[in-house]
Amino acid sequence: MADTVVTLGFLPLIDCAVPVVAHELGFAAAEGLTLDLQREASWAAVRDKLAFGLLDAAHILAPLPLAIHLGLGGMPAVAMTVPMALGLGGNAITVSTALYARLLDADPEAMAGPRGGSARALKRVIAADRAAGRPPLSFATVFPFSSHTYELRLWLASAGIDPDRDVNLGVVAPARMVESLASGWIDGYCVGEPWNLRAVQRGVGAIVATKGDIWPASPEKVLGLRAEWANRQPDLTAALVRALVRAAQWADAAENRDALADLLADPGYVGTSPDILRMALGGRPVLRPGAAPEALESHVFFRWQATFPWVSRAAWLLAQMTRWDQAAVPAVERLAVAAQVWRPDLYRAAVAPLGLAVPAEDLAVAGAAAAPHAVAAAGGGSVEVGPDAFLTGEVFDPRR
Amino acid sequence: MGESDLSILVIDGDPDRAAVVERGLVEAGYVRVSIIGPSVNMLARVQALAPDVIIIDLENPDRDTLEQMFQVSRAVQRPIAMFVDRSDSHMIHAAIEAGVSAYVVDGLKEARIKPIVETAISRFHAFDRLRRERDDAQAKLADRKLVERAKGLLMKNRGLAEEDAYALLRKTAMKQNRKLSDIAQSVITAFEMEF
Repeated sequence: MADTVVTLGFLPLIDCAVPVVAHELGFAAAEGLTLDLQREASWAAVRDKLAFGLLDAAHILAPLPLAIHLGLGGMPAVAMTVPMALGLGGNAITVSTALYARLLDADPEAMAGPRGGSARALKRVIAADRAAGRPPLSFATVFPFSSHTYELRLWLASAGIDPDRDVNLGVVAPARMVESLASGWIDGYCVGEPWNLRAVQRGVGAIVATKGDIWPASPEKVLGLRAEWANRQPDLTAALVRALVRAAQWADAAENRDALADLLADPGYVGTSPDILRMALGGRPVLRPGAAPEALESHVFFRWQATFPWVSRAAWLLAQMTRWDQAAVPAVERLAVAAQVWRPDLYRAAVAPLGLAVPAEDLAVAGAAAAPHAVAAAGGGSVEVGPDAFLTGEVFDPRR
Repeated sequence: MGESDLSILVIDGDPDRAAVVERGLVEAGYVRVSIIGPSVNMLARVQALAPDVIIIDLENPDRDTLEQMFQVSRAVQRPIAMFVDRSDSHMIHAAIEAGVSAYVVDGLKEARIKPIVETAISRFHAFDRLRRERDDAQAKLADRKLVERAKGLLMKNRGLAEEDAYALLRKTAMKQNRKLSDIAQSVITAFEMEF
């Protein structure tokens, strides 16, 4: 298996860090493989190239391999395998400075409270617009099948806003979000960094909620493979997972964050200014134009089992697809479908030589923990996982 | 509605390629072909044009926006779907490899769409070939300039006559089994480092 080339597609976002680090810092080479990293411009292109074999692997939106596997969105079904996740966090909801001023005006109390409560102010703005006969506000996410879509919908629904009737919901590619907001085509969006902080820096947007405010455990990007590719080359798949897990460990360390920002600033990767990337990765972002930086750790690459592919998280995604009319996966089939695609068994086997503690279970009930907590580790002992409380206070039990 | 009456929209970030595809479709007898370039309000323009078939380059970031039309059929009168001939994955593969993606109005018969997608694929290939030829020509020109520069440096700094300078470059290239332009580049680099 010496020097096997794996073609891996990615989009220019901070969480492409894991494959980039694996390539640049030699973690891939240490596993005897060469990553041929291909920067893509849209999720549709990543999906098509991965499904039809022009890519071996991809840094991909967590719901998208499930959608490909089920043949949703106009594509024939192609069996997929997700052997690991590529981290948590990084998403946020940004609104135009004009809408932000209206939110402050409409409900100063909600805007002064915990950040996720900003949707209550939006509810009032929408009611005022409707009473005045103004057209509905427009919001964008990055793709129909994205955690961004479900996070934005969850935030809207938390205040009793119907995402399908009370606002226009559209899709804009990540790198075009800021420009679309600045030109007034949309009033707000949910996207990964650096595209929220960039809007703040340009003075055109303000961040009103982060993924951590909505559901900190929400799955973000994953490693997507065709099942046929993974099944044919189990050793290569395991080597790829190990290289990426070690890269995630490196990227997670606070002392490596500045070096990571400089690496990602390369035009071949994310290509925004290192200042913005350092701010995002350093955990002290500025959330509104002119505001002071505040402590906000939003990029978790390895801690809290951020690379572990929980089957329950995939089941949650399938539940969201069904809730929002994208798919009809009956509740009784969700776990089976989720377990066909998300493969914690492959993850555990791949990282065994690294001596890492991994969760014993494939499923976790979410919604009860507001703080990091311990769960049982495979082979005894425990591992720490992150907070998992929903903005809405709901509980997601994958077995129900 | 005859075949040629189908309304086709070509969306491409590269206006030259869009023109090549448009010409191909017009030559094939389709009379209602429009082009739009990159734009922020693509969705509104697509809805206004209401095409039967959309040909868009696979790499176009606007595709993610277009795909939303699968999801929000409530908002569009003419739902579209990606062109997928389930019996012919070879065709999808050829399209993706050529960098073509196509979306069609729901319910349109595959037999009517296939020739359009085939034309687009062949035009994308033709365009790639033209661009490769142009790039090759430019590379050759650049190579020639390198050789000229290296020759000039050898003449000026080593007092060689022009034909001797050229002969030296050629001989070195042959001996090292490298391209003449590579040797010229090495010579230029060496002189740049010296001075």
